[in-house]
Amino acid sequence: MLAIEAAGVSKIYKGARQAALSDVSLQIEEGKILTLLGRNGAGKTTFVRICATQLMPSAGSINVLGYDVVRHAKQIRDLISVVPQEGRPLRALTSWDHIYNWLQIRGEGKQTAKAKTEDILRKLELYEARDRPAMNLSGGMKQKILVAMAMATDAQLLFLDEPTIGLDPVSRRQVWSAIKDWKAKGGSILLTTHYMDEAEMLSDYIVIIDRGAVISHGTIQELRRVIPQNIRIDIARDGLDIDALKPYGSVVDTGAGMLRVFTFESAVREVSELALRKNLAFTVSPVTLDDVFVYLVGGSIGENQNGRD
Amino acid sequence: MLPVRQAFLIAYMTGVLWLRRNPMSLVFTAISPFSLLFVLFIISNGQYVDFAVAGSLVMALVGYGLALGQDISFYKTEYKVQDVFVASPVSPLTYMMGLALSELLFGLPALIVLASLVVLSGASIFSIPLLAATILLIWGSMSAMGFFLSSHMLHMRNATQVISFVNVILAILPPVFYSIDRMPDILRPLAYAMPTTHASLILQYVMNDKTPEEWSLVFGFGVLIAYLIGFVALAKTKAIWRES
Repeated sequence: MLAIEAAGVSKIYKGARQAALSDVSLQIEEGKILTLLGRNGAGKTTFVRICATQLMPSAGSINVLGYDVVRHAKQIRDLISVVPQEGRPLRALTSWDHIYNWLQIRGEGKQTAKAKTEDILRKLELYEARDRPAMNLSGGMKQKILVAMAMATDAQLLFLDEPTIGLDPVSRRQVWSAIKDWKAKGGSILLTTHYMDEAEMLSDYIVIIDRGAVISHGTIQELRRVIPQNIRIDIARDGLDIDALKPYGSVVDTGAGMLRVFTFESAVREVSELALRKNLAFTVSPVTLDDVFVYLVGGSIGENQNGRD
Repeated sequence: MLPVRQAFLIAYMTGVLWLRRNPMSLVFTAISPFSLLFVLFIISNGQYVDFAVAGSLVMALVGYGLALGQDISFYKTEYKVQDVFVASPVSPLTYMMGLALSELLFGLPALIVLASLVVLSGASIFSIPLLAATILLIWGSMSAMGFFLSSHMLHMRNATQVISFVNVILAILPPVFYSIDRMPDILRPLAYAMPTTHASLILQYVMNDKTPEEWSLVFGFGVLIAYLIGFVALAKTKAIWRES
């Protein structure tokens, strides 16, 4: 069965001039992780909120775990759990209070709730701080409480909207590990993130959204093939004519005073010599998911955004 | 049974646990309903104490309902807590009930004192159920109204403004702190359309005070029950839980 099956989903917010989502279609198989990538305002959160029954679509159809999101929201809500974007735990409550009580609210018995709370707190290294009110915790620990609340449940499908934002590298890896454990138990996840390494590490499938529309999708390997070249060279733009680089491959303005050339090994030497002659800083590396993302949405950098994310 | 358990757990999280770590909140919430009681007692040399007690109890209950609205707005816009609850097996009415119980908990000391003052002001033992029913009806309808209003607020500031306005409409303008006899005849139907008028009149009745001839206890309870049903229906069907 499919965890999510979306067909032609659109969303226009009241009073908005543009659609936040236009004709989005995608599928997530059960037991898989699908990551939505996109710039701020691309429509990722809107899509997540529609799938999580928090927001009505304007058009199209979405089935979540076999249920229609419009007509069968109640059935879906028994089977899902979410980490909202920019959510915060309640100040006076501890991590234990949040998770233990949340599990009971979702129908767990006291003993099961206790065991699961202890397990997830240990997994995310929150156990030592389990008695400290959230107001006395770091931003990263607060974020981990929200992740722990979602991951401690028996939900079949998780919606994680930028779950590792604000976390240090070690904490991010703890969350990744918990996500992998979740998946290993057969759970499905719809993830949004701005971290490309996170997407590469966790995703079975990636969908790139720009200005409300799907512009590319596939596995990481498939997406890498969007760029025909396998090498990227970043060069400081400082006075460099973009046309001078075009003979070597595709050139993208990354918007930070840098130009990115996608090319092959055979051209590395010539491009490097060009940069050295003009005394410009440059780096050479293999093509990554980050490059694919910039390659696909780079053209819209600097243009107006779509409104709400 | 699960919705009841869910409501009590929500109340436990947002009320009991909060108060356990911030006990001073209880003191602050407990004091405010006595402000007008104090003023009226002083300026009338105790003459209007029954009106002041009835009015303060009604105003406190309106305040708890409206405070629920503020809390819900805060949890929705600042903490995104409501997003977590929407995408869960918790229904909007259960969420509302849990937070309403939590507000009641904060108001319990003031309610106990004010209800005791009503009893001490001439209520018979048999009228205590009337008092309890009035408290429950007003608390229930005001909580449902607070939930409905707050669900339509996109920003915390809007919630605060609307709630202050509604407080004046429900607790200050109608004859809650004063006798309805003081109102011009032309405005009386308007006053009788307010649930708070009837709550205050029932409390005055409980305290053995004179009530208007055109008013009866059955009429008063009928209006309160109608408001409770109406506001709960409004909260259930028209409050924004899932955004459109």
